[in-house]
Amino acid sequence: MKSEKAAAYSPEHAAFLKKLENRDRFVTIARYALLILLIAMWEILARVGVIDSFIGSSPVRVAQTVARLYAAGDLFLHIGVTLFETVVGFLLGTALGTLIAILLWWSPALSRVLDPYLVVLNALPKIALGPILIVWFGAGVSSIIAMALLVSLVVTIMSVLAGFNEITGDKQLLMRTLGATKMQIFTKVVFPASVPTIMNALKLSVGMSWVGVIVGEYLVSKAGLGYLIVYGGQVFKLDLVMSSIAVLCVLAALMYYGVAYMEKRLASWRYHS
Amino acid sequence: MEDIVVDINDVSLIYHERSGETPAVDHLSMQVKRGEFVSVVGPSGCGKTSVLSLIAGIIEPSSGSVSIDGFKPGYMLQRDHLLDWRNVEGNILLGLEVQKNLTPQTRNCALGLLDTYGLSAFAKHYPRQLSGGMRQKVALIRTLATSPDVLLLDEPFSSLDYQTRLRLSDEVYDIIKNEHKTAILVTHDISEAISMSDRLLVFTRRPARIKNEHKISLSRGDTPIARRKAPEFKDYFDVVWKELDVGEV
Repeated sequence: MKSEKAAAYSPEHAAFLKKLENRDRFVTIARYALLILLIAMWEILARVGVIDSFIGSSPVRVAQTVARLYAAGDLFLHIGVTLFETVVGFLLGTALGTLIAILLWWSPALSRVLDPYLVVLNALPKIALGPILIVWFGAGVSSIIAMALLVSLVVTIMSVLAGFNEITGDKQLLMRTLGATKMQIFTKVVFPASVPTIMNALKLSVGMSWVGVIVGEYLVSKAGLGYLIVYGGQVFKLDLVMSSIAVLCVLAALMYYGVAYMEKRLASWRYHS
Repeated sequence: MEDIVVDINDVSLIYHERSGETPAVDHLSMQVKRGEFVSVVGPSGCGKTSVLSLIAGIIEPSSGSVSIDGFKPGYMLQRDHLLDWRNVEGNILLGLEVQKNLTPQTRNCALGLLDTYGLSAFAKHYPRQLSGGMRQKVALIRTLATSPDVLLLDEPFSSLDYQTRLRLSDEVYDIIKNEHKTAILVTHDISEAISMSDRLLVFTRRPARIKNEHKISLSRGDTPIARRKAPEFKDYFDVVWKELDVGEV
């Protein structure tokens, strides 16, 4: 559409577009500038002694720590462990959550019966279940994945189900006038119409899975970024804590954008026209 | 008598809710013959739509019988409800898919309808790229693609602006006559009902009963717009207007 119209733009419209473009560029530049400014301030304040770098670390020390971890071959071990737990927890939570949401959509009676249980489970701080998970699944990766699953599951169920229920009765009426079965109503209308909501739910549950994994690693782990953070805190190596958090920031952002990209691809009809 | 397509016999319908019950249809009897275009007008909320749902078999009557033996209903709703993620072609094939009747033959037939009614250039377009009138036409073709015998039109033009509405009612009328379909139109627009139908039923306030019935014969015009110019048009309008008894607003 754009290319067809480009030739026909009036000078006023061209000026308007230019203005929009400039504004976008300003935002992008400002974002990077802020990041650089914060890091620079941190480094400077640490050097002049306003921040005690023993307890506040500094960007250079963070970079050195990451480099040291990398040289020792530990960096990707810890990243790998944490990433594996998060991805598995996220995928399990999504699959199981969506499946349960489908069941609850299918049977309004079941949904009504289970509603108070979901509400309580949602309100319950999942970390309280940590000791139980360790006893049940052992002091290892399974417990951490179970924690990630627990933290993301209820949120996924609730938001996906809300998405299904949002699809108006009219579209379902249309399907019934065409003689559709409940299964067809679900597969041809309710599910595809909910894809955007499901994608939003996934963005939420990606974050939740990270929470679950890091909490899980705090409780029980021999490796992983959460382990590094706890270990660093115990031995008072704040450089290690800060470095792990920095790596975690990058990973969490990458995974979020991964899901956002998938959303764009899957829900491409939203961007047609 | 084999010409009767829809036979509603002494039908009553009561809606039940926790807060109480609402009688929607009260001992209603009506018949529609093959190829006939029947309109139903009545005060809003009088149970007109319920009658269409009964004919379509979406709801069961509380008492009495509805029969459309051997004939297949096709429903057209007030809003088009096209699926945003399917293009025009995907939308008109929806009914055939649902009815597990999508063969190369029925598919071509549906695409042929698109072609006949001037929409084949838009087959790959998505609903959001179409105007309201075009969307409603696609919705009609989606209904026609399943080759129904009786078309049930539930205020199909009411979400459109006035000009589009007149033009589209002309086109839909054309399509229905071309395809030799039987049609039942529910509307609150008296002019629309008179201009399109062979017979007009006036319903009472809820619970719906038939208040009166008019055979429409206009001395000129073979399209709804032209029929509006017939001298008798205004007389029908006045009579029906009085019968509708829109006492208070």
